[in-house]
Amino acid sequence: MPAVVAAPRAVADLCAHAERAGDQAAVVHGDESVSYAELWRRVELAAREYGARPGVVRVATRHAPDTVVSLFGAWLAGGSYCPLDPRLPADHAARLLAGTAAEALPADTAYVLFTSGSTGRPKPVPVPHGAVDAVVPALRELFAITPEDRVLQFASLSWDTCFEEILPTLTGGATLVFDAEAHTGSLPRFLRMVARQAITVLDLPTAFWHELVHHLAETREPLPNCLRLVVIGGEAANPARLAEWHALDTARIQLLNTYGATETALITHAAELTGLTGADVPIGTALPHVREHLTEDGELWVGGPSLASGYLGLPEETAERFVTCGGQRFYRTGDRVRRAGPHLLHLGRLDAQVKVRGIRVDPGEVEAHLLAHPAVTAAAVTGVTVSERTVLAAYVVATAVAGDLPAELRSHLQDTAPAHLLPARIAVVPELVRTASGKVDRRATHERYAPPPATTTHQEATP
Amino acid sequence: MTRAVSTVTIESAIAGTFRRVLELDDLDERTDFFAAGGDSLLATRVLSAIAREYDVELTFDEFVVDPTPSGLAALIEVAP
Repeated sequence: MPAVVAAPRAVADLCAHAERAGDQAAVVHGDESVSYAELWRRVELAAREYGARPGVVRVATRHAPDTVVSLFGAWLAGGSYCPLDPRLPADHAARLLAGTAAEALPADTAYVLFTSGSTGRPKPVPVPHGAVDAVVPALRELFAITPEDRVLQFASLSWDTCFEEILPTLTGGATLVFDAEAHTGSLPRFLRMVARQAITVLDLPTAFWHELVHHLAETREPLPNCLRLVVIGGEAANPARLAEWHALDTARIQLLNTYGATETALITHAAELTGLTGADVPIGTALPHVREHLTEDGELWVGGPSLASGYLGLPEETAERFVTCGGQRFYRTGDRVRRAGPHLLHLGRLDAQVKVRGIRVDPGEVEAHLLAHPAVTAAAVTGVTVSERTVLAAYVVATAVAGDLPAELRSHLQDTAPAHLLPARIAVVPELVRTASGKVDRRATHERYAPPPATTTHQEATP
Repeated sequence: MTRAVSTVTIESAIAGTFRRVLELDDLDERTDFFAAGGDSLLATRVLSAIAREYDVELTFDEFVVDPTPSGLAALIEVAP
């Protein structure tokens, strides 16, 4: 197959498995199973439909094997993949797409994703095939993937975390499992699905893992025996939940904490948490393909072959974040870290960015959406902790308040912004707190107007 | 009669769960979980509490139909 010679390495690997072990299950969807040979046939068909060099292939994603077919098909055809959550408000999706004109994309782009921007407009991040080629073998090794593995497809297919599940699995000859029971919100059903599908590897958002550990600690339900590895990432792991995890019957299950950014392609750092205790949960050590640099003020810079091309069409933002130092290109993560033995510890952000359910949110983007409403004259958004998780709190100053403005703003945001930008709390306040220089002080505004915490909160903390 | 009494008891127990999970005092049996700041992941915690307390496994899709303590109490009441 001459086409495959020039194809990206992940596509060539998939093709090789289809030739060598065609009968092996590549993708399982509920009770259905798709072999490597059949998956490859569908990928070739999709590539033919896209045509040669199709540019950006935009795919409305869903938790089903055809999204994987689209991804590999786009790459086989020589195109770039751009996943889109079909639940996004139409205006927002249109704004995203306006930023990804095919002619502006570097030719070697594997996929385009978006990160939060302070101006209210997400920044398109093109990630080159070279980055994917560097990170995928590193992840296969980190996860020790073998053809016996059955990896759950859990992450949203419109974020890059799903590539951590899809690519090491299908380039490693293992089986990727889709199951609707993973997404019902019921943890007992989730656990039964893990057992029924004989899942060996779970890659979970840290916030979801917190809920899972909480549930297991409360019910004393054992984890299914099939499980050998749990990967977490997206936000800081809670040391109390880690202690609970260790207290459960989990000694045989490897637990990995991971760190990375869209701009540096998937995972760049990982920490083995098995048996680890202490007040700080490390984000780990750099993977072999990663170069790291710590600045004097403790900012982590990440370099190496896995870097994105920059922010598409945004030269200023690109120059600010992607810098050259000693002839090497680095991405300034904005994360403050400290070394502790072999590991890095995450200390916080150098800017106002917060992580909401593992997704980076620039408060300025939410403020811009709020200010687009005619009744809002000023807005301050900040991350606050509720039930051990970060959620957004918004404080707005309004011209004339008629009716229930918070409810109206909520529906305004639902119509114009993706769900992760929706604040958990919206309060109308007489004025925002400002610094001496007149700048809005988000933290101080929150502290002045935050509702008193519920008196029952301490109950949740003690098992 | 007993049915009504138990529904009221379940409602107030779930309102207590809402208060704990959302860390808010100011809510009652008709408070919408999502309007009060809940999201799908916090809903998972409520669903887990219900599974433990009442041995009823509700899903997120069932939760969102009427995401209030009284709506959930009604679902628990009719569960097999």
